[in-house]
Amino acid sequence: MVKIVTDSASDLPPQVARELGITVVPIWLHFGSESYRDNFDLSPEEFYPRLIRSRTLPTTSAPSPGEFAQVFDQLAEETDEILAIMLSSKYSATYEAALQGKEQTKKNCRVEIIDSFSAIMGLGLMCIAAAKEARAGANLEQIAAMVREAIPKIQTRMSFDTLEYLRRGGRIGRAQSLLGTILKVNPIVGIKDGETYPFGRERSRPKAIERLYNFAAGFVNIRELAVEHATTPDEAQMLIERLDAIFPKERIYISTVSPVVGTHVGPHVLAVSVLEG
Amino acid sequence: MAKTTRYTGQELREMFAAATAWLEKSASDIDALNVFPVPDGDCGTNMLLTMRSVVEEAYRAPDSSASAVIQAMSHGALMGARGNSGVILSQIFWGLAQGLGGKESFAASDFAWGLAQGTQAAYKALTHPVEGTILTVARETSAAAQSACAQGDDLVSILGAAVSAARDAVADTPTLLPVLREAGVVDAGGQGLYVVLDGALRYLKGEVNQMQYRKPQIVPSSLPLVSRTVKLAAEGEAPYGYCTEFVLHGRKLKPERIKKKLADRGQCLIVVGGEHMVHLHIHTFDPGSVIRYASSLGTLHEIKIQNMDDQHREFIEMSQAQAPVADIAVVAVASGEGLAEVFRSLAAAATVPGGQTMNPSTQELLQAIESVPQDKVILLPNNKNIIPTASQVTSLTQKRVKVVSTQTIPQGVSALLSFDYEADLEANISAMEEARLAVKTVEVTRAVRSTQIGGLKVNKGQAIGFVDGELITVGNSPAGVLGEILLNLDLEGKEVVTIYYADHTKRTESEAVAERIQQRYSHLEVELVYGGQPNYNYIASVE
Repeated sequence: MVKIVTDSASDLPPQVARELGITVVPIWLHFGSESYRDNFDLSPEEFYPRLIRSRTLPTTSAPSPGEFAQVFDQLAEETDEILAIMLSSKYSATYEAALQGKEQTKKNCRVEIIDSFSAIMGLGLMCIAAAKEARAGANLEQIAAMVREAIPKIQTRMSFDTLEYLRRGGRIGRAQSLLGTILKVNPIVGIKDGETYPFGRERSRPKAIERLYNFAAGFVNIRELAVEHATTPDEAQMLIERLDAIFPKERIYISTVSPVVGTHVGPHVLAVSVLEG
Repeated sequence: MAKTTRYTGQELREMFAAATAWLEKSASDIDALNVFPVPDGDCGTNMLLTMRSVVEEAYRAPDSSASAVIQAMSHGALMGARGNSGVILSQIFWGLAQGLGGKESFAASDFAWGLAQGTQAAYKALTHPVEGTILTVARETSAAAQSACAQGDDLVSILGAAVSAARDAVADTPTLLPVLREAGVVDAGGQGLYVVLDGALRYLKGEVNQMQYRKPQIVPSSLPLVSRTVKLAAEGEAPYGYCTEFVLHGRKLKPERIKKKLADRGQCLIVVGGEHMVHLHIHTFDPGSVIRYASSLGTLHEIKIQNMDDQHREFIEMSQAQAPVADIAVVAVASGEGLAEVFRSLAAAATVPGGQTMNPSTQELLQAIESVPQDKVILLPNNKNIIPTASQVTSLTQKRVKVVSTQTIPQGVSALLSFDYEADLEANISAMEEARLAVKTVEVTRAVRSTQIGGLKVNKGQAIGFVDGELITVGNSPAGVLGEILLNLDLEGKEVVTIYYADHTKRTESEAVAERIQQRYSHLEVELVYGGQPNYNYIASVE
């Protein structure tokens, strides 16, 4: 069976990854000189209070090619086909590192690496869809082709209280045009062509959540749907209850924004990702 | 006392070789930053070429003492300096040579001292040093390095302090330099210097491997990218002439005298060097006279003369290629600097002054529409009396102009807030029309004459309050009228009240009003914003 590999910026809930047999390679997070593996050594519950308290921002860095090589070699014990779907190369060197890691593998195993041009559960949903296909018996070519076709069908919207984290982490991209409003607004940001893109503003958090709902409700044919939050599980749950009107809620994935992603988006982000059918 | 680590010429060489490789990865990104029409349009490339020359010379040093290597590097910088930023880099290397010269090995404090020398020299080399450029970054950097020396004499911590200061200084460049603010970028030269120092630091920290598959990031501006004030070439800007650059070899050259002599021949004059060699850079309409004068002093090398009008034209073409995020521009009418700023901060491409008593002319609206790069324009008149003029403009331009009939400032703000970056013109118009109707507008002013409207008797000078254009309340103080109106509106289902006050005294008064509303409706968000509008003491929106 084809094994699916991704990185921790996919925000895949650990349980989902386990059930579907998806290997999640952690991205590194550094508070000063202390280094943590995203979600492994540092949970969101430990991380966010620390992020809010911390005067200096943590930094993040891609796993090394060697770490990828190790993961690929380990998986090669049980499979001869691996598909790695990585965080948008415009955000991170993760994709590059995976490519280099592939060159360093010692085992004889086919490894295909795809730049998702996406992040968070946009990427996560792609991995979920790929893992489901693998379970159904599809081979590497078939799954890789499906994932490539899925790239333009993935859409993500995030509601922010502040874009300050995105700005400081250098991942703000074109959403820079949403910065610096004199009025207090909730920027709505998405990912387009692999980078951060502005979609609009709302005047209050309830309106911003309404916007996320309308975004999802605007799709005719939803294949997979995910809602994620950083520190506000209740809000995410309420949104899922509402979304039940358009998509069965037991099929909606709920996830927590990982510490590495949280470093760049801050503690109050709420996001919806859709994979169109 | 802590032990002082000493560094050799070999380490110096490798450190800057790594820094140059680091810069190389970023050169094109830095070039792209240089979007305003300063000559030497390729800042990143220029700095890279300068650094390459530095490193090449470093490997030609007669031995590996710190002194020999830094002297060679300084020579390489002076010879290879390209463009403004390259010249300033060469000054920094000159300074380092002062700090490290004559030493077999050096301490971090020597390096910090050298940086400071270099910065001073860079300021001196320019006839008109401009803040918000690589100069500011160099100064902040060397100051941070100097003060870090007090904590310990080791290069990693001193460069660490320098790099983080450089990063902050780069982020702040748009606050210091309006051209950067308008273009929405940080200073390219400053960014280049940051990358060089960052590269050196990463090398010292042993991150050579990671550097291979990473890339320097452009420092995001600390200032929000507000409006791209569009400046067109035709806008009465003087032609730029020729960017003239060369190295002069001679004997007993006097840079100061050369500088004085050439001061009135052009702009951006830079003269650096010593008795035997001088690097000269000037923007002049008459490169011939500069060359003639210089050749009377010695021999000229590496002469480079570029027509800056060509560069400017390329810049215009490039900035058109770098289209703004949305292909639809919003032009808003607003009087009062605060209100105009509110619209600009919400990414209105242009604002036109005008309001209740000062309606903008068709011509003014037309100019604003023509000034934005987009072919599709949404016009927000924000006043009932301006809507007719706005509608007239649509037929006077080749551009597709649509008017959203916003009658008040709050309607305009709401409309603009609902702008969808992805939707087309029609979809945006209908979303904006819908948004403008969803907001209530409260306006408070003083009556200019006595009258009777809708059963309310008004005396001249009394405060009068309107809700969506309808006179509701008459009272003696504007703040009192504002409070009365807001408290009588049903705010239960509302989320945000924004009060735009006219001037400072109104702020304190409106704070009191805000507090009263907040007490009654704790769920409500009340925001006070300086509007600076004429006529109306207060404009408020309820949404």
